[in-house]
Amino acid sequence: MDIIEIVNLSHRFSNGTLGLNKINLSIRKGTFVVIGGLNGSGKTTLLKHLNGLLLPHTGIVKINGVPVSKNLLRARQIVGMVFQDADSQIVGETVYDDVAFGPENLLLNRAEIEKRVSEALTCVGLIDIAEQRPHVLSGGEKRRLTIAGILAMEPQVLVFDEPFSNLDYPGRQQVLEQILSLHASGHTILIATHDLEDVMTYADRLILMKDGVVVKDGSPDKLIDDLIVLGILEPRGFRFEMEMPS
Amino acid sequence: MTELTILGYCSGDSVLHKTDVRFKIACLIMISITTISANFWALSMLTLVLAVTFMHVGLSLTSAFKTLRYVFVLLMFIFIARILSSPGTPVFAFSKISVTREGIYDGVSICWRLLDVIVVGILFVSTTRSLEIKSAVAWLLHPIPFIPAKRVATMMSLVMRFMPVILDQARETADAQRARGVENRKNPIYRMSKLGIGLMRRTFERADKLAYAMEARCYSEERTDPALDSDSNDWIMLVFVMALCIAMTVV
Ligand SMILES: Nc1ncnc2c1ncn2[C@@H]1O[C@H](COP(=O)(O)OP(=O)(O)OP(=O)(O)O)[C@@H](O)[C@H]1O
Ligand SMILES: [Mg+2]
Repeated sequence: MDIIEIVNLSHRFSNGTLGLNKINLSIRKGTFVVIGGLNGSGKTTLLKHLNGLLLPHTGIVKINGVPVSKNLLRARQIVGMVFQDADSQIVGETVYDDVAFGPENLLLNRAEIEKRVSEALTCVGLIDIAEQRPHVLSGGEKRRLTIAGILAMEPQVLVFDEPFSNLDYPGRQQVLEQILSLHASGHTILIATHDLEDVMTYADRLILMKDGVVVKDGSPDKLIDDLIVLGILEPRGFRFEMEMPS
Repeated sequence: MTELTILGYCSGDSVLHKTDVRFKIACLIMISITTISANFWALSMLTLVLAVTFMHVGLSLTSAFKTLRYVFVLLMFIFIARILSSPGTPVFAFSKISVTREGIYDGVSICWRLLDVIVVGILFVSTTRSLEIKSAVAWLLHPIPFIPAKRVATMMSLVMRFMPVILDQARETADAQRARGVENRKNPIYRMSKLGIGLMRRTFERADKLAYAMEARCYSEERTDPALDSDSNDWIMLVFVMALCIAMTVV
């Protein structure tokens, strides 16, 4: 079944820039999709349509068969989104409060909130520092905190915008492992990133964007040449054939 | 990033952390009002209580001083203005300017009062989550007709939430400008305006991102807010603060 269905989606910003141009995509439940493209190619703009942070100019985005614009709350609960800048999406004054923020917005009762928060914190391995102030966490911990904040809302689709930016190698590995285990537990995963080499080996599907248009869409190993042609990967920096990091 | 201002919630389990927000707000108001007309004895008493509380809550004195350094400059100005403008018995005079005994007395007591009220505010802010403040404000405004209590409360808690963000941003922007040699410019107006514009833009950008993130997590006025519940300890605290205020007015 297609959990996400995008038909003929175009988006024009208020200053006249055409951010997205006639996008058509269907994404099956449980797939691991990576979206690549240079800066300004429209990745973030596309992702923001999935939970109605931006609404289409023309076209339609459906989540589980229902248009996003019909029921924003529903879409936002099904599609959890982790943004590029971890600092500016941490809302709570402690780690615990931040994760509780989403469930509180869903009007759940205290017991249920408590349960979901501890589950989410355990899942990302931050349960021991639940009372810390978020500002003092490391970059990788902050990123995992933002993931926990989304998990507590029990979404089916997890959308990551540049989940590896500003992280060192161990930090990237941690976040990647987290994402892989979430995929293994049945979540549909969408990642927009520049660091294609890190995730491409695990992806079921690679979507390449340029100037607001989807230019390539297929299985990652078939698109290696296109990556180089589009200038997304440097020919000799390419490590796809190398052994998987353990 | 780690060196944060203390003008934000710091988790802990002091008495103040556990006190119901409504009681804290009541105490805040009572102390502030009493302080307006407090004499030196009363101020000493309050300062002692505040110092003990400050230690108990576990706030760092150095970071308090750092955060308040501009406030001290402001207090200095107030002090000087008071000294020079109050008529009375001169302590010493220099050509037309004379420093009077009444002036010094006035200056000290005004600065002291302001400082005490500021410390009360810091204690409140650093032991109270902004969402708790939202619950409390909604509760306090709820009986008043024609006021959208929830909306006002939401706005207040957002303002509280943004204070540390803005201060943080101010420091970063100032640092970045210092790194590019803004100190070579002697004109303070020029420097203020450059800082102000940069700060505004960045604060709005950051606010924009935060708003997106909150929206993505289904934020609205209708949510499960922290439950307000008071117990006997809260009443004991209230009675203690009342006693303090009464003592401050009679000494
Ligand atoms: N609010 C806006 N108003 C006008 N134009 C915008 C706005 N947001 C983005 N754009 C433009 O839309 C285009 C796509 O931006 P988008 O942020 O989606 O790119 P991206 O692929 O996410 O880039 P990056 O890799 O840098 O994150 C860019 O040309 C950008 O300048
Ligand atoms: Mg982007």
